[in-house]
Amino acid sequence: QAIFRPWRLPFVIDTLSKYGIRGLTNTTVKGVGVQGGSRERYAGTEFGPSNLVEKEKLDIIVSRSQVDAVVRLVAASAFTGEIGDGKIFVHPVAEVVRIRTAETGLDAEKMEGGMEDMMRRKR
Amino acid sequence: MALLATKTGSPNVTRRSIAARPCSAAPVRLARPGRKHVGIHAMAAATAEEAELRKQLTNLDRVTILSEALPYLQRFRGKTVVVKYGGAAMKDPTLKAGVITDLVLLSCVGIRCVLVHGGGPEINSWLAKVGIQAVFKNGLRVTDAATMEIVEMVLGGRVNKSLVSLIQQAGGKAVGLTGKDGQLLRARQMVELDIGYVGEVTKVDPTILNVLGNDSYIPVVATIATDTAGQALNINADTAAGEIAAALKAEKLVLMTDVPGVLRDKNDLSTKIQSLDIRQCRELIADGIIAGGMIPKIECCIRCLSQGVKASHIIDGRAKHSILMELLTDEGVGTMITG
Repeated sequence: QAIFRPWRLPFVIDTLSKYGIRGLTNTTVKGVGVQGGSRERYAGTEFGPSNLVEKEKLDIIVSRSQVDAVVRLVAASAFTGEIGDGKIFVHPVAEVVRIRTAETGLDAEKMEGGMEDMMRRKR
Repeated sequence: MALLATKTGSPNVTRRSIAARPCSAAPVRLARPGRKHVGIHAMAAATAEEAELRKQLTNLDRVTILSEALPYLQRFRGKTVVVKYGGAAMKDPTLKAGVITDLVLLSCVGIRCVLVHGGGPEINSWLAKVGIQAVFKNGLRVTDAATMEIVEMVLGGRVNKSLVSLIQQAGGKAVGLTGKDGQLLRARQMVELDIGYVGEVTKVDPTILNVLGNDSYIPVVATIATDTAGQALNINADTAAGEIAAALKAEKLVLMTDVPGVLRDKNDLSTKIQSLDIRQCRELIADGIIAGGMIPKIECCIRCLSQGVKASHIIDGRAKHSILMELLTDEGVGTMITG
């Protein structure tokens, strides 16, 4: 689960799909996350600890072997170096079910033409 | 490009569509050699070259160049460009006139321009006239109460209005604002720096800029802000321009300086870096290649880029038509920094 700056969204999604991550969910969220009294800047305004700032959230479900790669991809494409870049949270997922075919587990998570297939083709 | 004025002046187009336009209705303006494939030329040789080229251009040439400019104009139509005006370009009247006409041209084409200015030299001369000693600490002006009054008057009254009237003379529509008007800039005093009434921007309210831009006015902004108590604060023009660009979700921030861009080797013009991104900027600062007065400008660029402005440009205000060259050509004349 990644939370980052709104204007970075197209770039992050492009990078992910270039590397084969085809399934993700996006939500627009507002949040606070200031460390140690420093203020975040958004749209020319300073945001202190009690004002909510707009961010975009992406939920991406991947198999365990792909987690590191995806985390690195998202972090690299959402980075700016200024306060307010965001955070990535890694959660374990108990079960994945594809509604159309009732597949479960790794079969349900796997996407046709996705990262796994791209890696296999390279080898 | 400057040729656009040719279009508006030419008889076939004028009567039909240009009647209500605020642009200058001057008769056919001769083409300037500010074309894509002609690089920057030395100012001294300019007039002789120009005269030569003008003789050689046919009408077909002019119209071809104009239609070649179309993709660029389309790309930016309706988008906002914030230009921070300062340095030598502000002192030399010919350069000033060039910048003003460039802005009016962009405004004519449908690109929303905002002009932000500083005004160091004028402030110094007026302080001298009044008899106040200008004090600088680490290169930053110390602004006590008396100096603040002069700064407010000179920036908001003298420099601002002279730019506004120049734009009006060139045929554009302009309104002069300070950060106080319409609560455009809200700031807090930077007590930690101990240089008096100098502020850090806390909030930008771009409503008034949008109102003006919708009616094709060019806002000219002097960077004086108020804090919550109504105290006037002086804001660094580069930073303020960046914040205004971020608040307007501008397409571009253009910083006019006295250097041709970011140079890898300070003394070698050919090592100018064409484009950078945020990561590379930080690396260059860490390596020491970007140093001195360039650092605050780059940091201001990074700040506004991290807030969503698409690109920022550092250009040489002393080159002719530098704004147009930067925006309307692929190579540009300065350094482009993207997010």
